[in-house]
Amino acid sequence: MALDDDTLPRALIADPRTADTGLPRRQALLELAILVTAEPWTLSRHKLKQWHDAGLTDDDVLHGVALASYFGHLNRIADATAVPLDYEVRHTPAHADPSTPPWPEAAKLVTGRAAIDIASRPATAAALTEWKTYMFHRDAPLTRRQRTLIVRHVASWLGDGGISSPADLTANTLDDALRALARTVTLAPWQLGDASYADLRAAGFDDTMLFDVVATATTAGVSSRIAVALAALAT
Amino acid sequence: MGLAIIGYDASRGQLRDTYDKMRERPLPPVYRPSHGGAPGIITAHSLDPALIPRVFTTSSTLNGAGPLSWPERELINATTSRLNQCFY
Repeated sequence: MALDDDTLPRALIADPRTADTGLPRRQALLELAILVTAEPWTLSRHKLKQWHDAGLTDDDVLHGVALASYFGHLNRIADATAVPLDYEVRHTPAHADPSTPPWPEAAKLVTGRAAIDIASRPATAAALTEWKTYMFHRDAPLTRRQRTLIVRHVASWLGDGGISSPADLTANTLDDALRALARTVTLAPWQLGDASYADLRAAGFDDTMLFDVVATATTAGVSSRIAVALAALAT
Repeated sequence: MGLAIIGYDASRGQLRDTYDKMRERPLPPVYRPSHGGAPGIITAHSLDPALIPRVFTTSSTLNGAGPLSWPERELINATTSRLNQCFY
């Protein structure tokens, strides 16, 4: 099956989980994207071996993990801003279904050494570090503590055992509202809408502050998703 | 209704400069919107102009480089978007 005919795009739109890409290597990449997006903590050494057998190298796997994680950020920012589609597509996917349940929270925390070191993609590693430093280490519009709270919650939902628990932070009055928006961003981005922002708007957050909450959560999602996936592949 | 987006025409200062710099990036024609302005996914970050170069520098290292081929990268991107129920 050629990637430029209509069969595969239609199958992906219908349901990626049942799509047949026609080649073991492509099927492995499809599975990688699904697992990294939905439940990265379930990856394993056995899964990495299967992907190797399908023709993927460690460098291919690292590229795929980072790409799927990164694209999840773009999806969430697009959803948060309801940005209109402004380029031509051959197949328009169905509208989001807000009744779809959220992704599950991680069943376990993943710790330990990564199976593949992201430093083997130095340009990507440097760009991600620069991005995370900007998002996590500043004091406006969100406070440093609010950023830390969001990062820790996202890490816990994705199974990132390398980040401290949010329970270690002293409680604050806005914590529940920040947690709720970050949770929707991370686990159910298709549900983002006015109701998602209502509690924080009522507390005085404007759109710039709300965007900061969303972007902090999505950045944490990229970081933790990569960390969890690469560490889980060693287990 | 989503969070605010500041388009190119309404942009000023740092945001306008960032949009102009982003226009100079090498980009396959298929990714350029027909309206000629900044792509929507870039303007979607408009409330934090300093974030834009950081996010899209990361993109360049992933979407503009191997070892995965362009069709393989698109397979991953499309799958991720579909699972997240996002048209982008």
